[in-house]
Amino acid sequence: MTRKNVKVSIRHLYKIFGGDPKGALAKVREGMTKAELLEQTSHVLGLQDINVDMKEGEITVIMGLSGSGKSTLIRHLNRLIEPTAGEVLVNGEDILSWNDAQMRTLRRESMSMVFQNFALLPHRTVLENAGMALATRGKARRDYEGEANKWLDRVGLAGQGEQYPHQLSGGMQQRVGIARALASNSDIMLMDEAFSALDPLIRTDMQNLLLELQDELHKTIIFITHDLDEALKLADHLVILKDGAVVQQGQPQEILLNPADPYIEEFVADINRARVLRVRSVMTDRKPDAPIDGEVAPGDNLESIIALAEGNLDRVFDVKNEGETLGYIDMKSVVQALVPRRVEAAG
Amino acid sequence: MATYDGLFDTLGLRDWCGTQDSGAPMSMADLLAKSSGAVADSSLRDFPFPSLDALHEACSAIPQSRDLTLGLETGFLGIRDALRVVVDPLTQPLSWALEDMLWVMTETPWWAMVPILLVITWVVGRSWKVVGFVALVLASLAFVDHYEVAMQTLAIIFVCAFICVLLGVPIGIAMSRSDRLQSVLTPVLDMLQTLPPFVYLIPLIFLFSVTEPKLYGIAVILYAIVPVVRLTNLGIRLVNPDVIEAADAFGMTKSQKLFGVQIPLALPNIMAGVNQTIMMSLAMVVIASMVSAPGLGILVLRGIRNLELGVGLIAGLGIVVLAIALDRVTKASLARIDASQTSR
Repeated sequence: MTRKNVKVSIRHLYKIFGGDPKGALAKVREGMTKAELLEQTSHVLGLQDINVDMKEGEITVIMGLSGSGKSTLIRHLNRLIEPTAGEVLVNGEDILSWNDAQMRTLRRESMSMVFQNFALLPHRTVLENAGMALATRGKARRDYEGEANKWLDRVGLAGQGEQYPHQLSGGMQQRVGIARALASNSDIMLMDEAFSALDPLIRTDMQNLLLELQDELHKTIIFITHDLDEALKLADHLVILKDGAVVQQGQPQEILLNPADPYIEEFVADINRARVLRVRSVMTDRKPDAPIDGEVAPGDNLESIIALAEGNLDRVFDVKNEGETLGYIDMKSVVQALVPRRVEAAG
Repeated sequence: MATYDGLFDTLGLRDWCGTQDSGAPMSMADLLAKSSGAVADSSLRDFPFPSLDALHEACSAIPQSRDLTLGLETGFLGIRDALRVVVDPLTQPLSWALEDMLWVMTETPWWAMVPILLVITWVVGRSWKVVGFVALVLASLAFVDHYEVAMQTLAIIFVCAFICVLLGVPIGIAMSRSDRLQSVLTPVLDMLQTLPPFVYLIPLIFLFSVTEPKLYGIAVILYAIVPVVRLTNLGIRLVNPDVIEAADAFGMTKSQKLFGVQIPLALPNIMAGVNQTIMMSLAMVVIASMVSAPGLGILVLRGIRNLELGVGLIAGLGIVVLAIALDRVTKASLARIDASQTSR
């Protein structure tokens, strides 16, 4: 894998809600916990020393339960919320020092956002909503119409441009939300629980749509979710938040195979590991003695390997990518990988 | 001998109070007491509240209550001329607008005026039912020869409601953007709304001559501007914060947000405010007939003054049907706005 540039980077970010956040910050830096801070000073510690690098062209998923500060975190990236301390770097520049006009340009041209509750303008048509970012830049309707229609078609809403948002179903409204973000042509997309309000089938559809678009467009996407399945499906880089702090971050496979603490272990316990784990995370370099039974790709999930082996435990496969052998995988290690590893056992 | 003599003596304020004013005219109570020959009854039941009058009895340096009202009056008369220099030219356009509107609406022949009003009704409400109703109302008013007075009333309402919206919507927007302004203006609006309508007229009578239309114009505007201000403020504050956040996230400027998002989404509330404003100016225009506002109110007033029951009742009913017509028209336009954005 080629090294990708870091597009957005968060450094030592703190957010404290309350009357005197600076004073409370000093106490947190001295080691006061969230609960103590709330009890003694009635300040809420929203985010605590967050450090995340989001690489260009990747989907970074920030996952956590409600109240973990994930929605607060994503709003720091386009400064809808101002941090108490820390840095937010976009293309290496600290946007916290930018003035209003610079921020407006950033929001209009290089950072778009998709919201959990869609947040479409109810008094504008679907087409006008899709063209909102362009209209905000001062383009007349006839100038943005083509671009807006193109993206509406792309998300599967061809011919719906003259409807009003309330005439569409939730899933279709969110498609408009995605078209709106895409039409702005920004290279960074922030998605705040974008699919959480949709029902499961439509959610799967939308996830597939997003992955499909991402294959084509290679945007830098920062995706917030509370759903681990969704996170594992979409993430190139997974960040797990708990009580406003990062508990573990890394490749989703890695987190699944090596959970850092009991909290994450519990989190990943209910996951269908066969569907999430990929061959490349389980394969070995050691050439087996047994004869090779076939070829698999490094991106295949274990479920497909088990199907390929027809349930037999003595099969061994070659892992090949574009003709080059990357390693080998035997059914024994496949089955072992399906059992959640305990933190103690893993060391 | 007054009840609070002792108080001032013990406080050592007797010198400040001055000598007992034996030369001052006696109060009625003292006179009565004297004539009945009895000593002033000082039982606990008659113990007076330490009001200005009671304290004055004991200490003449303290003014009586009537001095307070008198002082207010002389104070107002004192600044009246200065106030007039400022307010008079400022409000002169209101007089012109009212005079012109009255002239236009009464001088235009009925066969031109009625169709014009019906066209306006159609444009605003887009409902044939409402247009039919307005035609019926105008026809029945004209049938009993109340056409001209009804037009006068309508002319005053149109001018005043228009000015209320012109001033009230920006004030409401300003209020929605600043919590401090809201906390300052809310008590003022409360006062304007609860002040008995007659009270508006008192200072205005001193300021302007009774023959000037702006006298009642100002009274109507002050009374009727409250709902449009309040509901504009409320409407903008009630706009879905998610939508505002989206507007921010896409880099809208403050004015793009105001004109592109906040005002359009607050429009149903603003229109409800306009409806209330029109209703309240109709109420006030009747009272304003006491200070020479022409229209149906004059006839109501005649009914009261001369005990002409029929005149008063017919004029009163005329006001009712006019009110219903105005209400239906503005409600129809409100429904039209609402339908185009049945919310989220």
